[in-house]
Amino acid sequence: MNAQGIEIIVGEGTCGIAAGSKEVIDIFKEQAPGAKVRSVSCAGMCHMEVITEVRDATGKSFMYGKVNKKGVAKILDFHLKGGAFPEELQIVSPQAPEHENSQYLARQTRIALRNVGQLDPTSIEEYQSRDGYKAIEKILREGLSQDQVIAEVKTAGIRGRGGAGFPTAVKWGFAKAQDSETKYLVCNGDEGDPGAFMDRSLLEGDPHNVIEGMLIAAYAFGANKGYAYIRAEYPLAVKNFGLAIEKAKKAGYLGENILGSKMSFELKIKEGAGAFVCGEETALLASIEGERGMPRLRPPFPAVKGLFGKPTIINNVETLSNLAWIINQGGEAYAAYGTEDSKGTKVFALAGAVKRGGLVEVPMGTTLREVIYDIGGGSSTDRPIKAIQLGGPSGGVIPAEVFDTPIEYAAINATGAIMGSGGMIVMDSKTCMVDLAKFFMEFNHLESCGKCTLCRIGTLRIRELLSKISEGKGAMEDLDILENLSKQVMSGSLCALGGTAPNPVLTTLRYFRSEYEAHINEKRCPAAVCKALISHVVIQADCTGCTLCEKACPTDAITGQPKVAHSYEIDMNKCINCSMCVEVCKPDCILVE
Amino acid sequence: MANPSLEATVDPNLIAGFIAELGSDSSATVPLLQAIQTQYGYLPRTAMDLVVEQTEISGSQLYGVATFYAQFRLKPVGRHLIKVCHGTACHVTGADRINTSLHYQLNIQGEDEDTASNGSYTMVDVACIGCCSQAPLIVVDEEVHGNLNGAKAQKAVRMHARKAGEELPKAVKQSLKS
Ligand SMILES: Cc1cc2nc3c(=O)[nH]c(=O)nc-3n(C[C@H](O)[C@H](O)[C@H](O)COP(=O)(O)O)c2cc1C
Ligand code: FES
Repeated sequence: MNAQGIEIIVGEGTCGIAAGSKEVIDIFKEQAPGAKVRSVSCAGMCHMEVITEVRDATGKSFMYGKVNKKGVAKILDFHLKGGAFPEELQIVSPQAPEHENSQYLARQTRIALRNVGQLDPTSIEEYQSRDGYKAIEKILREGLSQDQVIAEVKTAGIRGRGGAGFPTAVKWGFAKAQDSETKYLVCNGDEGDPGAFMDRSLLEGDPHNVIEGMLIAAYAFGANKGYAYIRAEYPLAVKNFGLAIEKAKKAGYLGENILGSKMSFELKIKEGAGAFVCGEETALLASIEGERGMPRLRPPFPAVKGLFGKPTIINNVETLSNLAWIINQGGEAYAAYGTEDSKGTKVFALAGAVKRGGLVEVPMGTTLREVIYDIGGGSSTDRPIKAIQLGGPSGGVIPAEVFDTPIEYAAINATGAIMGSGGMIVMDSKTCMVDLAKFFMEFNHLESCGKCTLCRIGTLRIRELLSKISEGKGAMEDLDILENLSKQVMSGSLCALGGTAPNPVLTTLRYFRSEYEAHINEKRCPAAVCKALISHVVIQADCTGCTLCEKACPTDAITGQPKVAHSYEIDMNKCINCSMCVEVCKPDCILVE
Repeated sequence: MANPSLEATVDPNLIAGFIAELGSDSSATVPLLQAIQTQYGYLPRTAMDLVVEQTEISGSQLYGVATFYAQFRLKPVGRHLIKVCHGTACHVTGADRINTSLHYQLNIQGEDEDTASNGSYTMVDVACIGCCSQAPLIVVDEEVHGNLNGAKAQKAVRMHARKAGEELPKAVKQSLKS
């Protein structure tokens, strides 16, 4: 069997590894001797992991997904022995170009994500071969002025992708106007929204692009020192980014007199230590300085007086990842995408009850419906999609009725949610809105740094009220109290953590008030989630006496006679409604209601 | 409570080495704590004392920072660490059930306890691991396991234990009704 001339490329991001990419690579190496097997970063097609691309001897490319041991055999059978084409595994291939799976990528416009899944993140040469470091070379070799760079980015119209949406060029202008020997640029890779992972994918999958973006930003306002603040939960990102810094230094892109110019830029990594509030820019600076990560009063703005008292710009990873493209292709090319209000593209992390989850980059102005159904493929369960949650703990839910909302800052804000960093969680009828609001308020309460009373105590009181409602002990007045308290927390907090913390409550109340009312008036959780309001019952007619539920039960609540059908029942006094029995029951005979 | 046999023996030379490498001013606080925790799995009291003695960082600042960030722990850990993701995607897909099932499997009893009775595994809740499309997830030492439910999580831990030569404690059914 001759595999000569064939190239096999396996996706090895965090998701790929989670799905078993290491094993797949080993099997390819063993079973296709002679083929060139290599790995690339995560392509953000998480629903299809492990992803493998085969380039045959004629240069044709076949991309396959959900590859496991059996899949490897089928793929090699097709490419090496003329066997049948494994259509069920294909994502994009000349064999079936219109296949449904290909829609996920075909409908995206990838600018920030243009390289992820395409190159080996540990190789600077591969980045260079895809126009890498051309933008900073152009700036330094052609002698573009700082103002010209700022003007180009202004034409592009890009707004900060870290959540606040502040125009990037304008922010740089503030820092450029400062006269200081030392200026800092900080790359915000804290990615605290528990449901977003585009920054992880960029840092671990295309680190040189982030570094080049930092160089462009640093040049524009005159920064000579930089930090990349990366979350501790992203070990592969820290590793790949660190390696990229070393290689960029060797190649002369970092350090003194970059590419022979007057520009100097020194870059270091700071690992975060697990605090959501540290994504907020002033808290992030406090954290780098070695303090508890607590936000500071603004003004002075960091652009004037930031890290160690020096002018500092904080930019998000995704924002930075667009810059090299903008300089290479021109601001106008970027601004050609999007709407009047919002230019360019935005990356979303699509997850939850959706068929095709992963990273999705679309032009602004695309509707939510297109992202969820055309790209995401709709519901992954047999239940319809009821809402999405956008923007994480600072964001809100958007119900299915308004899925025709275009993705742009103003239109999203009008729904009560926020664009945020782009975490998009899809929910079907099995998600309880009261429980979801409680989850986010618990998060916001724990992550409140404690500086502002209304944020510290207010979030706790809101969470307590939500617990009370979820236990069926709420009263209708509680809903008014919730709304009032939410407004107070929002207006009485120093930073945007408290300023947006009640959004999950306000939006669920706005769109799903009937669910709150069902908990209060009928003591019923319509989604069958809130533990105090549900119970587990065995439908004895279907029970086979298989004993699996008894083994799984942590409390000895479910008992019966082994191997005797119809014999199992649940003792309500012991049952904690954990649903472990439901998971293991083969005939599916345990009802939750 | 904390299992005394899990207390680490701190090597003062190692701590001095960290300080020499990472610095002794206040901006070294977080990196120093991270280095100690990477070494011992938690922040042993003796190591903290050494840092206070040998740097400009005061005890109140060191403890203030250590208790502010979720990453740091002051209690000893088991021989292996299981991180259970409780991000949004994992929450709506059943992260709570994973906690219940692993607590049961590892015989972790009591509200504040997070370590298996035989010191094999410690469980911690973390926010998003960044693989939300494969929710819910756990990370056992460095291994990421996705698309789980309670039973599959138990299996992942069982397989890990077999490879690592760990014995799992005997699961004991107990009353959890509050
Ligand atoms: C509580 C809180 C958490 C935040 N977390 C992040 C984060 O994880 N990543 C990020 O880039 N910005 C985050 N931000 C926004 C930053 O404060 C800041 O606006 C952003 O990093 C600026 O970069 P940009 O202009 O490129 O978007 C957060 C803000 C708040 C209030
Ligand atoms: S929510 Fe669990 S990985 Fe993101």
